[in-house]
Parts: sequence; C-alpha cells; structure tokens
Amino acid sequence: MPDKPMSDKPMPDKPTPDKTNDWAALVREQLHPLNLPASDQEEVIAELAAHLEDLYEQELGKGISESEARNKVMDEVVGWRALAKTIQRSKSQEEIMNPRTKHFWLPGLVSLTAAMILLTPLIAISMQPRFLGRSPLQMVLLPWLALLPVCGAAGAYLSRRGGGNRRARLAAGLFPTIALFTLGAILVPTRLLTFAHPEWRYGLIALALGIILPSAALLLGALPFLHESSQVQGFPQTPIER
Amino acid sequence: MTKRIRSKISRGSAELAILALLAEHPLYGFEISKQIEEKTDGALRFTLASLYPMLYDLEKRGWIAGRWEPNRAGRDRRVYSLTPAGKKELAPLRREWNLFFQALDRLAGVTNA
Repeated sequence: MPDKPMSDKPMPDKPTPDKTNDWAALVREQLHPLNLPASDQEEVIAELAAHLEDLYEQELGKGISESEARNKVMDEVVGWRALAKTIQRSKSQEEIMNPRTKHFWLPGLVSLTAAMILLTPLIAISMQPRFLGRSPLQMVLLPWLALLPVCGAAGAYLSRRGGGNRRARLAAGLFPTIALFTLGAILVPTRLLTFAHPEWRYGLIALALGIILPSAALLLGALPFLHESSQVQGFPQTPIER
Repeated sequence: MTKRIRSKISRGSAELAILALLAEHPLYGFEISKQIEEKTDGALRFTLASLYPMLYDLEKRGWIAGRWEPNRAGRDRRVYSLTPAGKKELAPLRREWNLFFQALDRLAGVTNA
C-alpha cells in the first residue's frame, strides 16, 4: 500500500510537540474552540496541562529521550477537537432535566394530574340531578379512592424509571396528597381561626377523608415500585445514562 | 449495537472504578489514571481524553468534588474526593455490577475462562 503524501501543514487534531514544554500554552491552543466561562476554561487548561506535565516527567523517568517522552504525551489525546466538545458537554450546567425533576417533580405532577383528572368527572356526575340525593362519599370519594392506586403507581413507576431512590418514588407516588396537605395546612387553620367556635371535629374528618384515606390508596399503588429490583436491566448503568 | 453495548460497559465500569478509588482517598487526575492502570496490571487504562470528561460529569452530578491543592512536589493539582452523595451512589453501583457479573458468569462461565 503506497504511503499517503506527507503535508507540511500539521494535522489540526494532532499537535506537533512543542519545544518549550509549555503544556498550558499547548492545551490552550488545541482546545481553542472550548466555549466555557473564562474561569472554567482556565481551570480546565491548567488541569490538563498539569496532567501532561506529570505524564511527561513519568516518561522521562523511564529513561527515554525528551523527544520520545513528548511524543508519548502527544499520543495521549488523539482528537483535541472531540475532547473540547466532550469537555464542554460535561462542564455545561445546562441539563434537559435535573435529577430532582426527573426523580420527583415530574412523576409527582403526573400522579397529581391523573388524580385530579379522575376526580373531575366523578364530581360532575355526582352533581347531575338524578344523583343529587346520593351521598358524596358514595358518589365521589369511594370511586376516587378505588382509582387512586393507579395514580400512585404511575408516580412511583416514573420516578423509578427516572432513577429515583425509594424515598423519591414514595414521595412521587404520594404527591397528590402531599399537595392537598400543603393546601390544607394553609387553608384549614385560616378557616378555623375565622370562626368564633371552630368545629375541630370537621377538621379531623376532612383530614381523614382528604389526606389519610387517599394516601393509603396511593401507597397501595406505589408499593410494587418501592422495592429495589433484584434484576439487572441490561448492562449496569449509572444515573448518568439512565 | 455492539459498539453501544461496549460503550455502556466501559462508561459504567469507568465510573465505578473512579468512585471506588476515590472512596479510598482523594486523588488528582494523573494519580487516578496511574492507580487504575497499576491496580489492574494495565488491563484498564485511562487516557487524558477519557478521564477528564468523566471526572467533570461526576463532579457536575455532585458525586465528586475537586479542589486545588499542592502535591508532594509542591505543584498545584486539582484533587478530587468523594462527596456524601457519591458515597451513597457507590454501594448500589457495586451491587449492580456484582449482580451483572454473577449473571454473566452463570451464563458464560467468565470467571473460569
């Protein structure tokens, strides 16, 4: 196979070893398209230069010549442009979704939305004239409680899929009642304080019907997704890849 | 497909290797690559191009933290240590890889090869 014609122009991704051993200057020059804030950029350059310097000294310690040691160091990075891009991606603070969103907020909001979507038609049906005599417990609460495990399961499942730990999965599954509890914690005391003789009994009933029972129903659905899987799904990955 | 699987294995195992090393004591980049090479008799080797993007990724996720410190020769080096979040990640990662190797061993007898 004939040799490729040699060009005098150095290949852009393969720097020529410099004679001054100024590793920082070399790294700065080669990583030129690195688009990071100035302080980050300087830190990366200093760190990579330090690595090259240590490697160069290690090679020299093996008794080889300076030029051989420099060539060895230069072999460490085959593609500087690719490295610049990878570092930029790794250093970039912009993520499509941060872990907390993936583990908790998004699954939790799905669970809450599903719970509210299921509740709305139940309330609408119960208000129709032919059902007006029926108890809201029978018409709204019981069917809603029967459907809530699906919402809890959806929240916990999505959190697990996003790499959430057990606590995040539980919180995502119970998110509808966490939201209700937060709302209640603000509204109920305000309402009770406005009455001269507050009916604490009603407050407790509301707590049971609005928080405890729905929490139990949501937990029922979330339970299967709270266990740590004993199976390895495909090749082991870390949350970076999930 | 093969390339993708290889890439996943190497990435996942590289993260485990770095976290496990830093669990022992804080190290700077060059020391990490040197120790990995030495401890695996050269079977695993990190180049500068493979090591630093991984370190920055792990740092961004809060599993490791880097700070500049002088080394034994008095030169400033960015030393990485495992954070509490990284310590928490290491245990399930080790379990997962253990399960994976056990499964692969049962399937392909890799430990007796």
